[in-house]
Amino acid sequence: MLLFDQGPIETTNYMILGYAVIFGVMLIYLVSLYLRRRRLKQDLQVFEEIDKKGQ
Amino acid sequence: MRAFWRALWAIVWKDLAAEVRSRELLSSMLVFALLVILVFDFALVLDVKARHSVTAGVLWVTFAFAGTLGLNRSMAQEKDRGCMDGLLLAPVDRSAIYFGKAIGNLFFMFIVEAVVLPVYSLLYNTNLFKPGLLLVVLLGSVGYVAVGTLLSAMAVQTRTRDVLLPILLFPLVIPVLIAAVNASTAFLQGWELAEISPWINLLLGYDVIFIAGAFMVFDYIVEE
Amino acid sequence: MQPKPRTLQILDLVTVLFFLAAVGMVFFYAPLEAVMGQVQRVFYFHVATAWVGMLGFLVAAIAGVAYLVKQDRKWDIVGLSAVEISLVFFFIAIVSGSIWAKPSWGTWWTWEPRLTTAAIVELVYAAYLLLRQGLEDPERRARFGAVYAILGFISVPLTFISIRLFRTIHPVVVGSGAAAFDMSPAMLQTFLFSLWTFSLVFADLLWHRIRLGRLAERVEALKLKIND
Repeated sequence: MLLFDQGPIETTNYMILGYAVIFGVMLIYLVSLYLRRRRLKQDLQVFEEIDKKGQ
Repeated sequence: MRAFWRALWAIVWKDLAAEVRSRELLSSMLVFALLVILVFDFALVLDVKARHSVTAGVLWVTFAFAGTLGLNRSMAQEKDRGCMDGLLLAPVDRSAIYFGKAIGNLFFMFIVEAVVLPVYSLLYNTNLFKPGLLLVVLLGSVGYVAVGTLLSAMAVQTRTRDVLLPILLFPLVIPVLIAAVNASTAFLQGWELAEISPWINLLLGYDVIFIAGAFMVFDYIVEE
Repeated sequence: MQPKPRTLQILDLVTVLFFLAAVGMVFFYAPLEAVMGQVQRVFYFHVATAWVGMLGFLVAAIAGVAYLVKQDRKWDIVGLSAVEISLVFFFIAIVSGSIWAKPSWGTWWTWEPRLTTAAIVELVYAAYLLLRQGLEDPERRARFGAVYAILGFISVPLTFISIRLFRTIHPVVVGSGAAAFDMSPAMLQTFLFSLWTFSLVFADLLWHRIRLGRLAERVEALKLKIND
């Protein structure tokens, strides 16, 4: 095959784009998990205080 | 078992009688179906050649859209008039309610199809009344209604009910649509039976699996 | 809130180490592919993310059945968590697949059965989330979610079969077909190691997401208690 003689096609940019998406989306998901957790913890604290005052 | 059948037919009969009196369900389904065909004609500029390849697609999209309209309305009526609560209080098997509603919905689908097919044939000067195509319409409608009835019972209990049904339904009926469109095209263009039978088998399989599945989970949907 | 369990801490650590090792293998151990060049490296994590999506799809259906049988809210949280992770990872798999398809097939998107089915799973799960959003009663939300996840699990394989059947009857011409390649031993090792790593990633994320779900439930319960 002709392609083999010429060596691989230059596709580095696509590779970088691909891994940017893979790592990027995974990172966004992790951050979203972290932020949601933090907000819930704050809510929990507030509600627990209200609950104590109420009693 | 006798009680099951009596309950089932009572529900079907109730739906049909209500429809004969009000005609609100069928009239909206029919007008909508004809509009969809019209829209397709303008959007795709159905010349003779294009028409030949898209007929099955246009037909099934029409049935699917008109179908959601009917499914939504039929379940919403139960809910709004409080009939659903009455039905659930009645000492009948829950699956009789499901099959009763499904048969009623199927009947309305068939009426719409019985109007759309001749109208389409007339408008585009093709003959759609081929036994093979009618079989596909039958099998496709059964699968569509089996899932649609179940999901409309679910959608009607949500806040966003009118919008939600097509969103829930379409991703799940894709196999029906693909198989029905291909089988219809095959029959219309007179393909060989060996090429058609996988599609018919797929439709049959879908129908059986989803009727059984709906039968098993319907209880969980109407539980109070 | 309960402190992070010891097992989860260990799992976190192991997952991170495996992940770093997998990244190392992809970029430094696996050889350069002879025809497609660098972009072939996307393949390892592309398949691995799709694998995570499939695991989530499976777990969501199992959790759905478990919920309907046991009526235990725990399973609802598991199901929702699995759906969310599946949604995220199928998204990654679809986008990275497109990026790989562009140089090798000359097009961003082909109606290839696996790719199309993954896209339809995304739609099913988007519908799943919309369904849950429209329901206020948590018990009903759990029940309907379970039913819908099960229906999706039955329907999606049929979708795959029908697209497959469709494509064999109407073959599509996709460029030179250069996307097929033989894996050398080093490539195979990298590939299998990536699959293992992402199985760990799935387990770890699922655990964290379930803990988040439990926390959300506690906050919800407390809110109701205060309002009473």
